[in-house]
Amino acid sequence: MSERTFSVIGKRIPATDGPPKVTGTALYADDLRLPGMLYGKILRSPHPHARILRIDTSKAERLPGVMGVVTGKDAPARYGILPIGHDETAFCLDKVRYVGDEIAAVCAISEQIAEEALDLIEVEYEVLPAFLTPEEAMACEDPNLWIHADRKRNIEKEYHHHFGDVERGFREAIESGGAVRFDRFFQPRVTHAPMEPHACVAHWEHDGRVTLWTSTQTPHYVHRTLAEVLGIPMSSIRVIKPFVGGGFGGKSETFTHEIAACLLSKRTGRPVKFTFTREEVFYAHRGRPEQYMELKTGVTKDGRITAVEAKVIQDGGAYCSYGVVTILYAGALLAAIYDIPNIKYDGYRVLTNKPACGPMRGHGTVGIRFAFESQLDMLAEEIGMDPAELRLKNCLRPNTFTVNSLRVTSYGYDECLRRVIEASDWKNKRGKLPFGRGVGIGGSHYVSGAANSIIRSKMPHSNVSIKIDYDGGVTVYTGAAEIGQGTETIHAQIVAEELGVALDRVRVIAADTAITPVDLGSYSSRVTFMAGNAAREAARDIKRQLFRVAAELLGESPDRLVARDEKIFPQDEPQRAISYQEALMAAIEQGGTLIGKGAYTPPPEAQGGNFRGAGVGPGVAYSYSAQVAEVTVDPETGQFTVDKIWVAHDCGRAINVLNVEGQVEGSVWMGLGQAVAEEQIFEKGLTMNPGLLEYKTASAVDSPPIETIIVETIDPEGPFGAKEAGEGSLAATIPAVANAIYDAVGVRIRDLPITPEKILKALAEKRRRDKDANGHGEKPTA
Amino acid sequence: MTNLCLRRLAWSCQWRSSQGDILSTGLKTMAMASFTLHRPHTLAEAVRLLEEHGAQAKLLAGGSDLVVNMRMRIETPAHIVDLSRLDELRAIEFDPACGLRIGALARLSEVAEHDIIRSRFPVIASAASQVAGPNIRNMGTVGGNLCLDTRCVYYNQSYFWRKANGFCLKKDGTVCHVAPGGRRCWAAYSGDLAPALLALDATIDIAGPRGERCVKLAEFFVNDGIKKYELAPDEIVCAVHVAPEFADWRGIYLKYRVRSSVDYPLAGVAVAARVNEAGRCEDVRMALTAVNPSPRLVKGVREMIVGQPLTPERLERVAELVRQTAKPLRTTVAASTSYRRHMVGVLAKRGLTALLTP
Repeated sequence: MSERTFSVIGKRIPATDGPPKVTGTALYADDLRLPGMLYGKILRSPHPHARILRIDTSKAERLPGVMGVVTGKDAPARYGILPIGHDETAFCLDKVRYVGDEIAAVCAISEQIAEEALDLIEVEYEVLPAFLTPEEAMACEDPNLWIHADRKRNIEKEYHHHFGDVERGFREAIESGGAVRFDRFFQPRVTHAPMEPHACVAHWEHDGRVTLWTSTQTPHYVHRTLAEVLGIPMSSIRVIKPFVGGGFGGKSETFTHEIAACLLSKRTGRPVKFTFTREEVFYAHRGRPEQYMELKTGVTKDGRITAVEAKVIQDGGAYCSYGVVTILYAGALLAAIYDIPNIKYDGYRVLTNKPACGPMRGHGTVGIRFAFESQLDMLAEEIGMDPAELRLKNCLRPNTFTVNSLRVTSYGYDECLRRVIEASDWKNKRGKLPFGRGVGIGGSHYVSGAANSIIRSKMPHSNVSIKIDYDGGVTVYTGAAEIGQGTETIHAQIVAEELGVALDRVRVIAADTAITPVDLGSYSSRVTFMAGNAAREAARDIKRQLFRVAAELLGESPDRLVARDEKIFPQDEPQRAISYQEALMAAIEQGGTLIGKGAYTPPPEAQGGNFRGAGVGPGVAYSYSAQVAEVTVDPETGQFTVDKIWVAHDCGRAINVLNVEGQVEGSVWMGLGQAVAEEQIFEKGLTMNPGLLEYKTASAVDSPPIETIIVETIDPEGPFGAKEAGEGSLAATIPAVANAIYDAVGVRIRDLPITPEKILKALAEKRRRDKDANGHGEKPTA
Repeated sequence: MTNLCLRRLAWSCQWRSSQGDILSTGLKTMAMASFTLHRPHTLAEAVRLLEEHGAQAKLLAGGSDLVVNMRMRIETPAHIVDLSRLDELRAIEFDPACGLRIGALARLSEVAEHDIIRSRFPVIASAASQVAGPNIRNMGTVGGNLCLDTRCVYYNQSYFWRKANGFCLKKDGTVCHVAPGGRRCWAAYSGDLAPALLALDATIDIAGPRGERCVKLAEFFVNDGIKKYELAPDEIVCAVHVAPEFADWRGIYLKYRVRSSVDYPLAGVAVAARVNEAGRCEDVRMALTAVNPSPRLVKGVREMIVGQPLTPERLERVAELVRQTAKPLRTTVAASTSYRRHMVGVLAKRGLTALLTP
């Protein structure tokens, strides 16, 4: 495949669904208005932890304009995204577990009346002690107080993995004259902050079928859960994903408002809409948990990593959500970027009385990558080695199985490192810039599609069908959710390339469960790889049908035919071409509308080992990223600017160069926000900054220039060799910045975000230490 | 921009002409309480409306403060008096004899980009250009920025949030969560323009049913997060004046915030100085924002600086003075009080250095 040229892929193609977005004509869930539509609002708990003694909705129901009220008893079925985490109900039945937990929903002829009605619902509580840190939560021995009765000492799940022998590894490091370090790190709770808050409209029709338009990343999972909770067959439910204004992981499961909209529409016979306020998005959360990390790593004198021991405690909030996956990813993926022979991992997912955490771009890997890549720099210093060099020395090889049975196929981390080292002029900068300026390096990676389905199904993970009709247009049906990340364009490009037609012939219909075949959804960076493979397979199916007819027309064997640039011709004989249109019409004359289908199922060898928890971590491939950040620190204020970031991302093959660059820049940018400012703050269980004014996602003005380098390793199983590009570059930004700050002023910040205040404090401590040590050199790495 | 904003407002209100008849009844798509919107054509009409509705009414200019607070049910006015048709309050004028006059409805972006303000009253342009982000500056007005509500993390929250937290002294409650036990509101004054105007000893024109009055800006503000300023509910701030002798003062406004755009100040320092042709400083004034319930003039800076060499020790003494004037409390979670106090001192030193370094 190496020297092959392409007509549609590998180019810079603007998003095919871009024009309606930039012209404002795209319809998002909140833009939908159906005749007679009602407006829903959710009553939420003001307490972090309390028993519900009584709920009285009668006054609310009597308020003129109120059309319906629902509470827990209307939908008591338990559900959750993971089969082992069915701990949610649409509304709280007996207890509330965080400030913002859902108690009831109201629909009315206006949003304002619905909101007034919430005030009329009387709830009597018995307030319980709230657990606001994992430490408090895990210390509780009284089963009556546990957040969920069946979760002992509020531990959702713990895992203890040991591969190889870490003690032997640490001994080896010491004996070689190398170094072993133990450090603690912290990552705060951060949120996705998509532009579009969650919104949905449900319409329960008189035939007993319900349609839900919802802003979601996972229409199929919403579809399944609705069937369980509403108690009707999946075939009676239609989930439609309209335009989605971003998700980043925060819309990857079923939420209360989606169930409430269906229930209230059934009750009233009218369509019902819910749109979250930004504050409600913070309560729905499902973002990154607070993560307390202890990390011990050994390296030999010559810079080989011998062992890693990690303990991770995640403050997961009040419900499981994807939590078990998050805690497993944090451990499992330690093995998939560097060659580490011995790994021990202890992970604890702990329940607390805060909004539930869940998946967020770079799921599970981000905090631990910050810790690991920071510690790697400290170890490099201890053994007197350039930190970039240390990373290069520990790269994996392509086509290996890691110590914990992860299958790595294509691997471009080493090339990513080399490319950013060169582009950033690393060798002339690291340790050589004046005090206050510095560079830092970091690496990261991510699964390119989880090899195991979270619903434990053996069905294909992606299905795509294609229809070509009398008009000659190619319609691609996919359940994969376009959420702004560009998957519609990618589907279109793959199909156009495979079929040899112009891109504008292709129209992608994405995510309507009544029309599009099942796809597990837009999470774990799986769409390009899995739905892309399914789309290519479907296009091949169509191509076979076309070639059969074209072969007759050309008097050729079908396997000698090539389709390209709207023509079909025998290999190496383009002068004998017939047009695509001609072949198509002939094919339709023979058998009617062309229908093709394709499916993708991960290969068994990619699905991981046999130990408990082995299901999470295996990806069908892995992407890699290396980054260098350059910073300037003001030592009087601790404030710093990130002057530039160089990033190299191994995406297998860039099907759409523009899209890859956009995704990589977006990842860097999102990582940067988390590095420098983002943090949810709580007081007595209340989110103190539930809005985008006080929750500090970075502004465009703060964006440094980002130089993106695409590394193509041509994955053997990806569609045209492609892997993911949307998540893998996020995590590296954070340690790259932390390491650059150390290079600039010699202080190491171990808890995120890296605020000016922390730098200033660390500088003062360092001055004191240096004074005690008679003021040796200000720049430690000089 | 204005039209868009008003259209959105109209959805949730009864739209009345200045005569009071209902123009349209819109859909209620935002969870705001109902109100009657008045759109007077003259200042006199506006004053009459305020006289009639008094404490039940709120003035709407850019809406960037009021509308947010209405959506949080911090403000639930029964009447809104929209000032957008009062062109008489929009002008920016300079006369060598009378000085600078900025109408209260002048947009912040207009002030930031105004040639004469930029060249001859740079401290004002510097402050105006740093308010929030570009969209807000296109909407926000000088009068609105001066009369900004004071801010606090326990106050600028939704009704649900405030209720869950037991409300607070400033709105619907009896407790101050910033200084429990106290009877005083410490919400921080967070306007950017006020310190710049204080540094130029500005005055403001106020219209009301009892006629017009003119007050020194320094006397307008009250160091109380609830009362905020000396302005009766039936009065309107019409214009800001800066005396001609302040023309050509050097000036700069330095603002500490987490993001380089959007954010309110966590500490802000405006410095203005008269520097003669020989480069010597003849007078200097400094004012602070976001570190007290009111913007504050720092007293004693002139005495420390004029006629003295600008040594690091001297700058440090000014910083100390500034830190004594500032009393930031935990009205935000974006930075600690000690860091904000540190920053206000640093900004003071940097402001002086920028203006007075030969």
